[in-house]
Amino acid sequence: MSSDPTCDTLREVGAELALGVLPGRERAEAVAHLDRCADCREYVRQLTLVGDRLIGLLPDGEPPPGFDNRVARGLARQAAPAGGHRRARAPGPAHQGLRVRARRARLRLAAAAAAAALAVGFAGWAVGTAVQDVTAAPPPAVESEPVLVGDMTPAGGGAAVGEIYAHPGSPAWIFVSVALTGPGTPYTGEVTCLLERGDGTDVRVGTFPVRDGRGHWGAGVDVDLTRFSGARLTSADGTVLATAPLRKGQVLTPEE
Amino acid sequence: MIFRGGRTGGRAIPWWPPNVYRGVSGSRFPVGRLPDEALLSGLATGDPELAVIFVRRFQHRVFGVAMAVTRDPQLAEDVAQQTFERAWRHAQIYDPRRGSVMTWLTTIAHNLAVDAVRARRTEPMAPEDLEELLGVVTETPERWALADEASTQLRAALARLPREQARAVMMAGVYGMTARQVADAERIPLGTAKTRIRAAMAKLRAVVASLERGDHVQ
Repeated sequence: MSSDPTCDTLREVGAELALGVLPGRERAEAVAHLDRCADCREYVRQLTLVGDRLIGLLPDGEPPPGFDNRVARGLARQAAPAGGHRRARAPGPAHQGLRVRARRARLRLAAAAAAAALAVGFAGWAVGTAVQDVTAAPPPAVESEPVLVGDMTPAGGGAAVGEIYAHPGSPAWIFVSVALTGPGTPYTGEVTCLLERGDGTDVRVGTFPVRDGRGHWGAGVDVDLTRFSGARLTSADGTVLATAPLRKGQVLTPEE
Repeated sequence: MIFRGGRTGGRAIPWWPPNVYRGVSGSRFPVGRLPDEALLSGLATGDPELAVIFVRRFQHRVFGVAMAVTRDPQLAEDVAQQTFERAWRHAQIYDPRRGSVMTWLTTIAHNLAVDAVRARRTEPMAPEDLEELLGVVTETPERWALADEASTQLRAALARLPREQARAVMMAGVYGMTARQVADAERIPLGTAKTRIRAAMAKLRAVVASLERGDHVQ
């Protein structure tokens, strides 16, 4: 915090800014100041955290019966017009860094709306029916599991540093989690995820940010995941950070 | 216990038995124990199974927040539904560095609830509602014995605040009231309302910062 009088002003209104209740003009001035003052950004970040935790103290509530299915069906209805082919999506956050959205998540959502041009369509299958089936189908007794799994290991070998799960169904999606926290400076930056075929060719399926070696990412993908035998994570300059063989997972559930 | 692996054998993985079964393909998938972030990623793909599981996992939290702010079951249900619709619509840009999925959803629900109340009422809250809610959030006995340490400390800190400061920060932080609205509701000068909000937030910030550093707070 410098002796800049604007910093003093920010201190006066920071709490209201963080709680999202600062009126328009004051808010605009405060946000403009935050864009050029890292100390005040941190100050407001901490206050925003307090506001989030305050909301977190509110008690849970019991929604009306059937709420979960009604909501799921509502999502299905909204998804239906968007049917057709799913597109590969740009994953991860649409914006980086803390530009302290003083209006708390409202500003985050504004940014989200801007990024929603990336929104995916649905695969076009009977969503409503599936929802019914989920709630009504009794659990069968035994195994079967169409999921690909793999342990991420560092490029130079060593213990597992993450995992990858790939669901080859429709829609297909993958989830990657890594913690590249071995010796040396942990990597921070964009990571590219590539899926490898048995013949050595590969397909880039997306990128995601890693900070201090840690990150996770998931996304829908428009590829037949069953055709891949491995995954590779590379840094922005192409250096291989970690690899994983993909094995067909088999979930076994003992009969009661 | 669930094992995964090839035919050569499996190893235990930290998932409990599946509690959801796919009805479309006839195969099963233990999505019920996916991490929140993975579930959200799957939700973005439009998988209806994941939508149901996602809603079930978070509906009590979301509905609770909506109900606390609106005090109207029907309005709270509308808000909760809109919350999940927004989450589904924007799932692909969720940034875990900004907070947990739970926090993200809770914030969406809160903002929607505040907006819904603003659109329908001139008074964001009734005085008796504020007192009741303040009583609930500052409770620290065995009812919250299983709550995390940070929440317990924050409840205690809120309870230690001078009552007028606690009321002011609840009005602003929970009901989304501006300092002007707080001043009008409490019949105090605007400057006094601002001071109360600021003072309360400063004390709570000290507690949260202490918890982030791992200090013990008395």
